[in-house]
Amino acid sequence: MSVTINGTRHVVEVEVRTLLSDLLRQELGYTGTHVGCEHGVCGACTVLVDGQAVRSCLMLAPQVDGREILTVESLSGPSGLHPLQDSFRRHHGLQCGFCTPGILMGVLGEANAGRDLQTVLDSVLSGHLCRCTGYVNIRAAIRDAWPTLKERR
Amino acid sequence: MKPAPFAYRDPHSLDEALALLDQHGDEAVVLAGGQSLVPLLNLRLSRPAMIVDVNRIPGLDGITVDDGGVEIGCLARASAVEWHQELFRRLPVMAAALHHVGHPQIRNRTTIGGNLAHADPASELPAVMAALDGEIRLTSPTGVRRLRWDEFFIGPFSTARQPQELVTSAWLPLTGGLCATFQEVARRHGDFAVVGACVACREQDGVVAEARIALCGVSGTPLRVRAAERAITGRPVDADSLAQLGEAVRGALDPPADIHASAEYRREVGATIVSRALAALWEGRAAGH
Amino acid sequence: MTNRMTRPGMLVGTPVLRVNDPKLLTGKGQFVDDLRLPGMVHATILRSPVAHARIVAVDAGEAELDPNVLAVITPEAAVRDTKTLPCVFVMPGQRMTAYPVATADVVRYVGQPLGVVVARSRAAAEDAAETVRIDFAELPAVVDPEIAVLDGAPLLYPDWGTNVAIDMDGGDPPEQVEQAIAAAAHVIAMRFRIQRQSGQPMEPRGVVARWDAATRELTMWSSTQVPHHVRDGLADALGLPYDRVRVIAPDVGGGFGPKDHLYPDEVLVCLAAMRTGRPVKWIEDRREHFTATVQAREQIHEARLALDGDGRFLALHTRMLADLGAHPSNVGAGPAFVTTGLLQGPYRIPVSGSHMTCVVTNKTPVGAYRGFGMQQAAWVRERLVDEAARRLGSTPHEIRRRNMLRRDELPYTTRTNQRYDSGDYIAALDRAVTLVTPSTPPPDDGRRRGIGLSSYVEFTGLGPTAVQQSRNFRLGGYETARVRLEPDGTATLLTGVCPHGQGLETSLAQLVADQLGLPIEDVKVVFGDTATAPYSSAGTIASRSMAVGGGATVRAAGKVRQKLLQIAANALEASPDDLELTDRTVRVRGTPKSAITIRSLAEQAWLGWGLPPGVAPGLEEQDIYDPEDISYSYATHAAAIAVDVKTGQIEVERYIVVHDCGVIVNPMIVDGQIHGGVAQGLGGALLEEVVYDPTGQPLTTTYMDYLIPTSAEVPDMVVEHSEIPSPFIPGGMKGMGEGGTIAPPAALGNALANAMPEIAHLVTTTPLSLSTVWSWIARGSRTSTERA
Repeated sequence: MSVTINGTRHVVEVEVRTLLSDLLRQELGYTGTHVGCEHGVCGACTVLVDGQAVRSCLMLAPQVDGREILTVESLSGPSGLHPLQDSFRRHHGLQCGFCTPGILMGVLGEANAGRDLQTVLDSVLSGHLCRCTGYVNIRAAIRDAWPTLKERR
Repeated sequence: MKPAPFAYRDPHSLDEALALLDQHGDEAVVLAGGQSLVPLLNLRLSRPAMIVDVNRIPGLDGITVDDGGVEIGCLARASAVEWHQELFRRLPVMAAALHHVGHPQIRNRTTIGGNLAHADPASELPAVMAALDGEIRLTSPTGVRRLRWDEFFIGPFSTARQPQELVTSAWLPLTGGLCATFQEVARRHGDFAVVGACVACREQDGVVAEARIALCGVSGTPLRVRAAERAITGRPVDADSLAQLGEAVRGALDPPADIHASAEYRREVGATIVSRALAALWEGRAAGH
Repeated sequence: MTNRMTRPGMLVGTPVLRVNDPKLLTGKGQFVDDLRLPGMVHATILRSPVAHARIVAVDAGEAELDPNVLAVITPEAAVRDTKTLPCVFVMPGQRMTAYPVATADVVRYVGQPLGVVVARSRAAAEDAAETVRIDFAELPAVVDPEIAVLDGAPLLYPDWGTNVAIDMDGGDPPEQVEQAIAAAAHVIAMRFRIQRQSGQPMEPRGVVARWDAATRELTMWSSTQVPHHVRDGLADALGLPYDRVRVIAPDVGGGFGPKDHLYPDEVLVCLAAMRTGRPVKWIEDRREHFTATVQAREQIHEARLALDGDGRFLALHTRMLADLGAHPSNVGAGPAFVTTGLLQGPYRIPVSGSHMTCVVTNKTPVGAYRGFGMQQAAWVRERLVDEAARRLGSTPHEIRRRNMLRRDELPYTTRTNQRYDSGDYIAALDRAVTLVTPSTPPPDDGRRRGIGLSSYVEFTGLGPTAVQQSRNFRLGGYETARVRLEPDGTATLLTGVCPHGQGLETSLAQLVADQLGLPIEDVKVVFGDTATAPYSSAGTIASRSMAVGGGATVRAAGKVRQKLLQIAANALEASPDDLELTDRTVRVRGTPKSAITIRSLAEQAWLGWGLPPGVAPGLEEQDIYDPEDISYSYATHAAAIAVDVKTGQIEVERYIVVHDCGVIVNPMIVDGQIHGGVAQGLGGALLEEVVYDPTGQPLTTTYMDYLIPTSAEVPDMVVEHSEIPSPFIPGGMKGMGEGGTIAPPAALGNALANAMPEIAHLVTTTPLSLSTVWSWIARGSRTSTERA
């Protein structure tokens, strides 16, 4: 199968039962995507498949044959952190950082899908479990970055 | 945990998919959105010999709205249905109900066909089908079967779908003047309903001319409470009629208990949310909805 | 009220952004599951599917023939090749002070590790594990601690003749307590039950183990809070010398207590690496985490608060039954003991005592979890206090004010020998009441509204070694810091504490930077590897890293500073007292031209050229700091809630924390710790409960069943601080990592009782789940109808 990850095309042979999360992490080394529950609740493994935020533990590798995937590793570049990453840093929106990549991708996926800020804060964010921050500073970080995210769309 | 081994096929046409289902029967499981199936695979609670992934079949994700009703293709994602403008205008209860299905990241994958075929007793969409007298369309190599919702849902996680059939669409009639709403109580936003209710009514001359009441989370299948519908029909919505409505709902429910809520809770709160939903519909009507 | 102790040009007291965030934000963290070693293979653990049974037969023949399998470690082999793990918290008379890594005869809880299968992939290991047949002869299980104490209950350890592992009194003698209670005008007696919980860090546990057969050295990467403690236990369990075992904590995705020790399954993974000669990875999956990782909290109390006619507290007592699970864990009865030790809270109570019974049951062992017994103490005490106010016609605020220790009464020694150091408990209470009181009337939406207070004193900065010795808590209470000013003028701090999300990489660096006049980017904090970090007996547990680790850091950096100033004084021909150290430069105060860079001083020191007489080369100092006493943080939390009486749903509308942890090094980090602690406390208050069926089968093994709070359940909150310094910690800090978790259940319970006085007497158990609250409301309204 072949899959494009963060703009790089990979051709790889895997067992059909391989989860997308394991394809990314174990087979291709994109370890920024984390696995917290492997049953689709915690949201740590969220990535974008053809632009849409999905749980990568709930897709099989062959399902992404020919598709484009974006992971947290795609966000920052030579010019530094993505505005949402930067806002998380400035607002202390992360502690252990394990859930953070999934939250960034979930929020960006839904922002790109045209959702409004309140939907993101109410519905999208509650699809991610964070055990460290109590979410208060995550919400502050999203609110602060929102105008910039809208401009970048 | 990782899934147990299985064979995987991803047919590119409906015929190919149906042939596979026909050939492999009970051994094969259909993978649509995967938001219920893949967790079961990962926990090794489901261990099919073959997975037939229908996601690459074109043309099964359509949403068509005409005056008679709404047809939603089995591969339409819950998020696409939720944000479909024409559907939202004609049948806003769909968005209201789907809003309770997991979270947006789940709804980007969840399909209408998969949700119905999975037949989770706590699931919201089957209750909407029940309240609105929806129909499930099943396709097999020999043709299309149309089953009313009460013919389709036969038990918890159990439907009348034959192994060689694929749920290809859901159809919901559009009934003039009927307003519907969805209410539920869950322990957290996005959790399966402890108890949920889809309530619809049509008002005429200051009374309820028609009522539809369906609940999820209270029995093995979505439950239409016709006694409660009768109790409110022909009456205005007021404290007295709502009390009798609640009494009728209570009398009709024999719900299960689990770690999230007692049976008594589901019965009483089921009655409460039905009453609240109807009161909200009635107020919305007064506000010119 | 917030009077932040900042000094111009200093980093302490300022919200320095965290130095390790860029790595974590860009997905470049290195968690244990991110490691890939050449030749690495994968393990899965064989676990007991039953709660209590005798192992009759094991057949691993099919797995051993599987071409993907490298090794199967059967229960028998595991028993043969491993020893025991220690209980470090040992109570007087405690039955069982160590527990075996493995068992080949009796299993005592679902999830108990029995063996290991190693294969080329995790999936292949799981495939093979399914073919390992273990036949069990089931024994009757005992699940409910109240049944476990009864005569004739099934026994986990028949040779004990009982399921009671520990039974002891604490505080004032029982006769004295009974006398005081008998003489009181009012006695509030209530029975409380606190549910079983699970810590649930978002990263489960995990291990990569590598055995070097040539040097006989074992390296283990582990998601742990305590690498040295793990190293010691691992070496003992496998019979290896300590110096041939190296434990590395890479980035760790949260701990909260459960990652505070070495687990049996982790030893077995290391054994598998020794057996196969290949690096072996094992990552706990979430379902395993729900049975294999220690749980927490479960207690039942029969508690009494006695008052005089004016509402003054006269005596407090609880009879507590605590569930230990299948065996005393590393900390065993520690949390229960801390419950009794901190029961008195911030109040003046002349007589206070407890009776504690700890039983074993066929459930996962309980261990450390954020709050470590203090959350239960707060629930029992603060609910009693509110009930006392209600029954005496006082208010929750007034009754607390009347009984709370005044600032001038501190230091104060409680009846359980806690020596409260410093603080202004009443100021925090008053401020919380002010902040939670609504400025506008609430909307009329049919819901009932109430406000609840919860005050506590928190034991932090574990601890003076002497205190730990006196309580037979077998961990050294000191902490070590080593500070090196490198030849280029940057600084390295090597610390024994091991952060896993708390941000100590930044806050400890702030302490060093201020001592040495450096910007934050010039300080690197090194930790987490037993080969490089100073030895730490206790590690990052018990809200001690900033108090004790920070104290050691201040002292070690202070020593480097003194030496630096001595060398500079010589070079600048000035007295060390006239020098100041800022901006990477030493200057003579008042003579800005007379200055020398730290870099040139450091270079000189490491060359050893031209040093003043008697000054040794180098700029590296170590300090082993053992604090003089425990430091006590405190707070009052206040919650405003709305209750839907028809559904039992509680919404937290406002949440206030007024808090004091002494000098705040990084206010951004401190607030974040409080937010997260409160969120976990709200989880315990409203949602979380580990449930077992009567046969000992766990019913909560996924995130669909065990509900931890999402963003929708945690409101924005108001957090204020005062900063009354610790009288003895260098730098004035106190610990604070756990504090947020302690108060929320009692704050919410009291708010519910306030909103609905007719059910106040029923508000005795957590979680306040919608079904439970609804059933109380149903009962309460039935009772009031009957009364009418």
